[in-house]
Amino acid sequence: MYRFKSVFMLDLMNQLSNPMWVFYAIGFPIALILILGFLISGGYGEAVSSYDYFGVALMVFSVFNAATFSANSFMEERIKKPNMRLIYSPISPINIYLSKILASFAFCSMAYTFVAVFLRFVVGVNYGGANAWAPFVIMLVGNFFFAALGVLVCCILRDEGTTNNILSLIFAIMSLLGGVFFPVDGLGKAVATVSWISPARWMITACLRIIYDGDFSMFLPVFGLLIGLSVLAVVLCGRLFKGEDYL
Amino acid sequence: MQTLIEVNGLKKSYKDKEVIHSIDFKVGEGEILCFLGPNGAGKSTTINIITGALRCDSGSIQYRGESIYKDLIGYKSHLGIVPQDLALYEDLSAQKNVLFFASLYGLRGEDLAEGCRFAIDFTGLSDRANDKVSTFSGGMKRRLNIACAIAHKPELLIMDEPTVGIDPQSRNHILEGVKQLRDQGMTILYTTHYMEEVEEISTRIIIMDEGNIIAEGTNESLKAGIEGDRHYRIAVEYEAEPGDDALMRIDGVKKVEMDNCIIDITTDRKKENLDKIIAALIGSGVKINDLSAETASLETVFLQMTGKSLRD
Repeated sequence: MYRFKSVFMLDLMNQLSNPMWVFYAIGFPIALILILGFLISGGYGEAVSSYDYFGVALMVFSVFNAATFSANSFMEERIKKPNMRLIYSPISPINIYLSKILASFAFCSMAYTFVAVFLRFVVGVNYGGANAWAPFVIMLVGNFFFAALGVLVCCILRDEGTTNNILSLIFAIMSLLGGVFFPVDGLGKAVATVSWISPARWMITACLRIIYDGDFSMFLPVFGLLIGLSVLAVVLCGRLFKGEDYL
Repeated sequence: MQTLIEVNGLKKSYKDKEVIHSIDFKVGEGEILCFLGPNGAGKSTTINIITGALRCDSGSIQYRGESIYKDLIGYKSHLGIVPQDLALYEDLSAQKNVLFFASLYGLRGEDLAEGCRFAIDFTGLSDRANDKVSTFSGGMKRRLNIACAIAHKPELLIMDEPTVGIDPQSRNHILEGVKQLRDQGMTILYTTHYMEEVEEISTRIIIMDEGNIIAEGTNESLKAGIEGDRHYRIAVEYEAEPGDDALMRIDGVKKVEMDNCIIDITTDRKKENLDKIIAALIGSGVKINDLSAETASLETVFLQMTGKSLRD
């Protein structure tokens, strides 16, 4: 446990001390939500402002990026070589990939919590008042799943650059389809149906229903699905991780 | 001398290409065993298999008589690894790097602090201990690369080309350090393609080429094997390539190698036959541009065994 703690703390510190990553995790979502919220403010009503919508939808988009942080933490060239010593050292391989996943999860969770609190107080984004814990839990579990997904794809492709390129493309499609940048229900029944293949759609819909209707019907299914996918991703990491890839 | 590591029938392939061809060797306690060979000889692959980081296709590796795979984590805790690449966190200080890597070996509290002090002092980095690694010169990074491997005072220190790309002063510092670590009780496994380093520090040498061990012994014993020979390297010009028959017929000539305009001849030292060699070459229409006689060195050992230079 002591050795795992050492690796985890270093992985977390590596992320917290990287100005680019901190900006990407905090500055970028805040700027994106404020800019889009301002530009499209006329398209929303009084009850649900554009900031309220993007404050949830773009947070889900940011959650996707946990995969980028974990992939970087796992195999980025600057970190890959010192990580090689982890393979030589007397620690179990599970500690290596689990530490990257947990450190990225912790980093993103801290960053996005800060973003949400900032948006709540600066532009009054509605996160559900007393029910805010539920969207928060969905975001947390989402963070964990996407952090695990980033490491898993790295284990398969064995290259952080290729992993990020592929995941960025998939996430862009999933975000568009899932209604991150605009609600997709207005695009017709067919698009609305297809949009359910995107995790963004489940997560955004579950959060909005909790926040505005107090409807928790989607909470457990989304929570359970993300937990299930997370467990699957971690198990597959264990099967596919090869320390030799660091050498 | 007690055997620390025993390797038998070790084989490794990458994508159907066998890069290590069933090698056997032992590492004795307290040795500085040097693996010498050109790039691509299989030294690093062998080293990575011994560290337990890379799996072999077949063969056995025993540590004090037990397979290393029986308790791989326990085995790894006895090792210190200096990888060929600089494996350091550039944004951290030298001290934080050493503390972190030593903590992976279970050191904590005062043991961790003491191990870190020892490693930093030993590598001569005390005055820069709190500076970020990104501000270090290449030689200092190489020394820190070693410090990160010795803070936990390993039983077996494995160094894979630790002096690549550094200045002579840092190289001397490292070589002196290796000998001191041996004197302090560590066993050292050292790979390089610099024969000068091997001649300076080794207590035993394994020469590798194309995944095979081609010679094994002390510096003296390896050279003694060819000390009965003399080597001539002759730079020539010719219209048509001369056959080596005429040269091989000369009394004492053991081996003739032709490579473009260079002819390497190995001959019995006791036979004075240089005049006959020159006459044979001139007689076959060859113009001699240069001629040198080489004394025994690990380079010539390697040359004689493989027909090529260590730096080919």
